[in-house]
Amino acid sequence: MAEIWVYLEEGADDLAPISRELITKAMELAAGLGGSVAGLALGPSAATITAQAFNYGVPKVYLTEAPALEHYTNEAYVAAAAELIKQYRPSVVLAGTSIQMRDWTPSLAAALDAALAADVTHVAVEGGRLVATRPSHGANVINKLGFNAPLVIISLRRQVSPEAKPTGGTGETIRGTMPAIKQRTRVRSVKEKTNAVNLADAQIIVSGGRGLQSPENYQKLVPELAQAFGGAYGASRAIVDAGWVPYERQVGQTGKTVSPKLYVACGISGAIQHLAGMRSSGTIVAINRDPEAPIFKVATYGLVGDVNELLPALTEAVKTKVGQ
Amino acid sequence: MHTLVFIKQVPQQNSVKITPDKHIDASGIESIISLFDEYALEEALLQTEKAGGQVTVITIGTEADKEALRKALAMGVDNAILVSDPQFADIGSLAAAKIGAAAARKVGDFDIIFCGKQSTDDETATFGPALARYLDIPVLSYVFKVESVDPNTHTVVLERALESTIETVESTLPAVLTTVKDLNQPRYPSLLKIRKAAKATIPTWGAADLGIEAGSLTPKIEYLDRVPPPPRPVGSIVDGASAQDKAAKLVDKLVDAQVI
Repeated sequence: MAEIWVYLEEGADDLAPISRELITKAMELAAGLGGSVAGLALGPSAATITAQAFNYGVPKVYLTEAPALEHYTNEAYVAAAAELIKQYRPSVVLAGTSIQMRDWTPSLAAALDAALAADVTHVAVEGGRLVATRPSHGANVINKLGFNAPLVIISLRRQVSPEAKPTGGTGETIRGTMPAIKQRTRVRSVKEKTNAVNLADAQIIVSGGRGLQSPENYQKLVPELAQAFGGAYGASRAIVDAGWVPYERQVGQTGKTVSPKLYVACGISGAIQHLAGMRSSGTIVAINRDPEAPIFKVATYGLVGDVNELLPALTEAVKTKVGQ
Repeated sequence: MHTLVFIKQVPQQNSVKITPDKHIDASGIESIISLFDEYALEEALLQTEKAGGQVTVITIGTEADKEALRKALAMGVDNAILVSDPQFADIGSLAAAKIGAAAARKVGDFDIIFCGKQSTDDETATFGPALARYLDIPVLSYVFKVESVDPNTHTVVLERALESTIETVESTLPAVLTTVKDLNQPRYPSLLKIRKAAKATIPTWGAADLGIEAGSLTPKIEYLDRVPPPPRPVGSIVDGASAQDKAAKLVDKLVDAQVI
């Protein structure tokens, strides 16, 4: 039976959390479609990632190591994967939605004439058939997709499945060869961002908007509350466009899409463009002076009042009742 | 240097309706150039001004999408082309990239292609990376800074913003670059250019002009259903005598619900 492959990504000190989720998902799909699970590991860490994947129950990993794969480049990583896929013919390839994966999956689909579902939030076997769900139009439309192709490539967001548990297992390694390619792109250098903001992985996010009235108030109140919660902090488009906060903190349709366990919207009215980026959060707290603000329509809990008074009070209450 | 830009016209607000036969109905909503494509247009104009040359903008759509092309002309783009054919309706982003590649080949002598990292309606972020593959040229996606474009040595140097790192990449030209927000400040069209754009003749290229055979674009994806998002559970206002009181009550609720 055809295999379901998971593109395996390196994490900080273990297999990336998204890859562990995708292993669980691939096993579920393999059970539903009748097939087996395998991993795909490319690049200098491929051997390490392969060992980690075995530990999470993956029975087989296809692996290619080559000088051309030292850094991710679209052309080398697509070529290496396409070579293995053409030879071993999986029916489904699952990948995450990191920037490199959003770059890789469409090129791979185009190279192999495969079907592609991008930025998927749910995938399952329904009536013997693979069905993927993805939001579009700023999360105002939920699309259910079926496929008519021998190969389906799917990029999936976080929180699609529980992470696979370690099994201490071992598996089979199949080595691929790097095809000869014209290498037209070269990564000159990679530097760490000085203030990297990883909103996508945060469990709690506190975001501020125009209701805070000044960049000083934002800086004084929002990071402090986020810290008390042990979370990250974001912003509405309005204050990013006004230059209070850098773009990488923007939550919304033209910024980041997030779905943390808890989202606290402070002085954010709830424009459709903002809701698009956070409406799938677990619990939503809205803090706004205007009781008619649209943000209250999606809020689990609302506080009506001056955010510049309520935020320090909330920070205090969190510190007192929950501790650090 | 000949620069191509692919843009898409999208609804300004995403409060679209879903028709009974599962199509998107954006009637009554104003149309705009997709936000990330505005940055692509601006970067194309900036780089072409530096290197000398011309910019051609292309959209795949219907007669109504000429409005977006005229906006691009008013920003300073030299030529505009509408790619349109009844066969191209609702074909999905991979097929759109295939059509885009055919259009780029028909233009022929391009050095660099810009497009937004994704459209703000379908949000698949597929077009740029797939277009490059169909043209067999490199793609540099999520570009947030273009350091240099040299049409004489056929090289581009740029920065890509990843989750926690910044990559400096060099590539040969031609290449496809996809742009993020805030890479530049898109310019406002001048009145003079708006008037000129209104009168410009925009050619339309169909499937036959591009050598695309009927039936060669069968979608590999099928929309089984399209629905609005599920409503969120009804919430409640937490009231209290003071800010401190409200805050304390809220924290109690979050603790009780095991959210924190």
